[in-house]
Amino acid sequence: MRFSIPRYWRERHSHYRLYAKKCSKCGRVNYPPSNICRYCGSTELEDYYLDREKAKIISWTIIYPAPEGFEEQRPRIIALLETLETKTRIIAPLTDILPEEIKEGLIVEPVLRRIKEDREAGLIHYAIAYRPVIGSIGTNKQ
Amino acid sequence: MRPETSVGIIGWGSYIPRWRLPLSEIAKLWGFAPETPRGLNVVEKAVAGRDEDAVTMGWEAARNALLRAGIDPKEIGAVWFGTESKPYAVKPSATIIAEALGITPDTMATDLEFACRAGSEALRISIGAVASGLVKYALVIGSDTAQANPGDILEFTASSAATALITGPAREAAAVFEASYTYVTDTPDFWRRAHQPYPLHGEGFTGEPAYFHHIVSAVKGLLEQTGLKVDDFDYAVFHQPNGKYPLAVAKRLGFPKEKVLPGLVTPYIGNSYNSSALIGLSRVLDIAKPGQRILLAPFGSGAGSDAYSIVVTDKIIEKQDKAPRVDDYLNRKYLIDYATYAKFRGIITRIR
Ligand SMILES: [Zn+2]
Repeated sequence: MRFSIPRYWRERHSHYRLYAKKCSKCGRVNYPPSNICRYCGSTELEDYYLDREKAKIISWTIIYPAPEGFEEQRPRIIALLETLETKTRIIAPLTDILPEEIKEGLIVEPVLRRIKEDREAGLIHYAIAYRPVIGSIGTNKQ
Repeated sequence: MRPETSVGIIGWGSYIPRWRLPLSEIAKLWGFAPETPRGLNVVEKAVAGRDEDAVTMGWEAARNALLRAGIDPKEIGAVWFGTESKPYAVKPSATIIAEALGITPDTMATDLEFACRAGSEALRISIGAVASGLVKYALVIGSDTAQANPGDILEFTASSAATALITGPAREAAAVFEASYTYVTDTPDFWRRAHQPYPLHGEGFTGEPAYFHHIVSAVKGLLEQTGLKVDDFDYAVFHQPNGKYPLAVAKRLGFPKEKVLPGLVTPYIGNSYNSSALIGLSRVLDIAKPGQRILLAPFGSGAGSDAYSIVVTDKIIEKQDKAPRVDDYLNRKYLIDYATYAKFRGIITRIR
């Protein structure tokens, strides 16, 4: 096994639902989750899941060299996003999009995808990726 | 009173991948007659991307069903996942989806297998579970990245899509069940042995003794049981392995084409196996009006068919716009070539 099984299991709510903590004092979302608000120092935080929010693309990078386990997803597109409601900034992969279709400000939404797999017999790792909201990008239909 | 009448559909939703393979690509590569796709009445098939599988597609269909249901996911007491392309041979797909949607841990969850009608069997089981009070809501999913031997006639239609239905108390439902009926026999029309990557089929066996006999028997059983007539239905949705069979079985039963076309999705995306008939129902629910009656008849090889009578309620209107419709996904498409499809579906063998 190349990837840690306990770690994938422990972090499954981060992978599947973008588990975060929302501060009851200042209202900001701490992602990754933290027990002390990194914006105001409050210790009153509640569970929050960022998978309920759409986001917009701030910037992105296209990565051609693929680490082991990612060869079939080459090139990978990783974006800096800001969620629409709580303005939380996150870094996540983009999917269902071609490099030439990406633009700043494009609205994307979270979807569960296969992020990597541990060779042919090991675990499949699922996590949230973002794709353009339905109807926002075109078709190549002649 | 039939047990079905206390149960209805609280939410529904589908998912279709963005990628479409024009069937002319398959005909060209494998040397089929160019008119083969027209003979099947299918133009393109939906292809799941490299990062998609039956779990991820089922997740999105279920998320759409939850949006329409408007319930707390924790209230779901059963997650039943029907597929013949589950990512793990052993390790339930249902628990991954249940965890990712916040339904765990107080729920039943399992995967079901019966070729293309496992999801439909799950639907009938859910009616029993809800009617008995065992669970308040059940999440039923039919999802497949259907496989076909490259160059086999099945490759033209084997496609990818998912549909989810949340069943619950009739008083909250967008559509209520009136009756349901199942007809199964041991028929060798289609199978896949363990460790084999692709299914085989019994050539001439797939039509008459399998598809037509089972669907006609199930629908006739339902009509006899209820006293309903063909004219009582506004829509008829059948399993759709290609674009021709559903129209042919409808004709045989006496349903006019106009009642079948709204729920006929295969001509645009191919046969999505466990989602095949259910995505047809999903598309009909997207546009149905209160008081209308829908016949649903899925089919699975091996073989069996279920027939359901479903009546739409007033609550459907407020739910229709709460999630993307089937047509929104049909319009979201990008045509790919055979090489891209082969890579996406793992047809190219490489050492990993
Ligand atoms: Zn704070």
